[in-house]
Amino acid sequence: MELKPILSALLRNKTGAILIAAQIALTMTIIVNSVFMIMERRGDMDRPSGTDEANIFVLSYTGFASDFNEQTQIVEDLDYIRSLPGVIDAIQSNSAPLIGGGWSMSLATEEGPDKNGTGTAIYFADDHAVNTFGLNLIQGRDFNPEDITWRNRTDTNWPGQAILTKALAENLFKEDWRNAVGKTVYISETQPINIIGIIETMQAPWNGWNGLERSMLVPQQTLFGGGRIIIRAEPGERDRLMTDIENGLMQNYKGRLVRNVRSMEEIREISYQSHKGTNTILLVLITALTIVTALGIVGLASFSVNRRKKQIGTRRALGATKFDILRYFLVENFLISSVGVVFGALFTVGLNMLLVSTLDLPSISWYYVPSGMILLWCIGLAAVYGPAKKACQISPATATRSV
Amino acid sequence: MLVMNNIQKVFRTEQVETHALRDFSLKVEEGDFVAVTGPSGSGKTTFLNIAGLLETFSDGQYHLDGIDVRSLNDNQRSRVRNEKIGFIFQSFNLIPDLNLFDNVDVPLRYRKMSSSDRKQRIEQALETVGLASRMKHLPAQLSGGQQQRVAIARALAGSPRFLLADEPTGNLDSSMAESVMQLLEDINANGTTIIMVTHDPKLAARTPRNIFVKDGVVTEKKRSSMDGTDSLIMQPAIA
Ligand SMILES: Nc1ncnc2c1ncn2[C@@H]1O[C@H](COP(=O)(O)OP(=O)(O)O)[C@@H](O)[C@H]1O
Ligand SMILES: [Mg+2]
Repeated sequence: MELKPILSALLRNKTGAILIAAQIALTMTIIVNSVFMIMERRGDMDRPSGTDEANIFVLSYTGFASDFNEQTQIVEDLDYIRSLPGVIDAIQSNSAPLIGGGWSMSLATEEGPDKNGTGTAIYFADDHAVNTFGLNLIQGRDFNPEDITWRNRTDTNWPGQAILTKALAENLFKEDWRNAVGKTVYISETQPINIIGIIETMQAPWNGWNGLERSMLVPQQTLFGGGRIIIRAEPGERDRLMTDIENGLMQNYKGRLVRNVRSMEEIREISYQSHKGTNTILLVLITALTIVTALGIVGLASFSVNRRKKQIGTRRALGATKFDILRYFLVENFLISSVGVVFGALFTVGLNMLLVSTLDLPSISWYYVPSGMILLWCIGLAAVYGPAKKACQISPATATRSV
Repeated sequence: MLVMNNIQKVFRTEQVETHALRDFSLKVEEGDFVAVTGPSGSGKTTFLNIAGLLETFSDGQYHLDGIDVRSLNDNQRSRVRNEKIGFIFQSFNLIPDLNLFDNVDVPLRYRKMSSSDRKQRIEQALETVGLASRMKHLPAQLSGGQQQRVAIARALAGSPRFLLADEPTGNLDSSMAESVMQLLEDINANGTTIIMVTHDPKLAARTPRNIFVKDGVVTEKKRSSMDGTDSLIMQPAIA
């Protein structure tokens, strides 16, 4: 290959080449880190909530009338909803996965103050919870109707049993989580809770929380003056039921407000709105950057083709084929890009290390770096192809014709 | 051997048609040294470009060493240029970013040739033109005459059968022109066929054969060698 003469010619015209190499290095750094962040966020967004999202919807109620009796109203409402055709099941609860607001507590495996606790989301619900959310109970048993008690706003006592997510059990018992059923954990430092079941997955209400997978079902129904009702519909029935049930509840009793009727899909959408927004911004940024870099390469290559017209004609006169000329510019670009992507690889890892230490981001997976290098090489070659193709068209007669 | 029969070359732009060559017929034998003279714009460069396969022609036949040039595709033409023809240009056309060694190497790189073979040829060619000691210099570090000698070395390195030179001394003062001319004469003496366009009647007078181009038409200047007075007879350049 004619690497050596291309390289020595390049070294005599460094400025443009260095600028393009620097641009390639920077572009690669930003593209690779951005793509990594986008993929991380996508990965976050793809985590399953553990519920039958396609068929579930949630509504909020708040009692305002003086005759509002929450206890009887809940029973009445749930009876009404559960009796509707198309409804699989329904519960009253304080929260739902990804909804943004909820209750959290700390659990410990030992009794007493100052024990290392594990944070968990709390879902108060009756024995229909597993069926309504469509949870996968992998160990132990579900709640029985007799397990359910009423909880007032001022209550500080906790029922003696609960169902935990596998992630929560793992956090509490490590590898021993398979034997968690039957064990006791402590809430509010001293109150024992017997683990009666383990569910595979149920996300907490907050997607940004690092304990997102840690949740606990508590067999109580809350009398807090307001709450949420979660309804699981048969496939295809959700949208109809969303309007029917909102209207039905209002007709049955006008002393409470029914608001925020949202499908789980909408809830997920809203929950990850800022994720999506950030990803879009990053995507626009890297697209723009790619275009600018590609244009820079096109510009430099066109400039150097124009500057070297006579040289190209002379090379053709001396026996270069069109392909030889094309190859010259591709190789030249490849050399410039190679310098760019080598520095790009270093900067990429450097920027990631900075992000890891400042923004608590995970470390970039190794394969991002070679992928980024290949991508930038390809962008470079694609950008230089047009000007190089033009160079091929320069007539050998240019050698004698131009001054 | 180079044989052109009734070559026509028409340059067409949107407004004008230029008949650069009309019924151009010429036969150049192995070992000839032909000087081409004629007024500016008469078609000398066009003729040389066609002879050197740098340009195509509109009509007529051209055989180079028995090859029908018309039948060659672009790659084949490149190959013929590379292997059979050496070019020398008025403004030298060295590549400014490459040192002398790499400049002479340019045509050899387009040929499948081992690097030791190339190295030997380059050194030999630079030796011939008396510049072997300056192989690592850049063209800009040389005088015009020296640059033209490098260009001649580049043309020679591939051992071409034909050397085509378009006003090789046009940019040189007379002493440099003289040394270049001597070099060409030596090369011709070693068997290489040379066709040289020149404005300089003194140089033209030194070559065994002269042709004259005017308005795209070629005529042969025959010296009546009897009395040596250079009385010229114009006649067609092909027998
Ligand atoms: N690429 C071209 N397009 C149009 N006309 C051209 C082109 N090249 C040469 N010519 C014309 O052809 C004629 C012969 O040109 P040329 O062979 O360069 O003359 P010379 O070398 O004898 O000075 C001139 O009239 C010139 O203007
Ligand atoms: Mg000319």
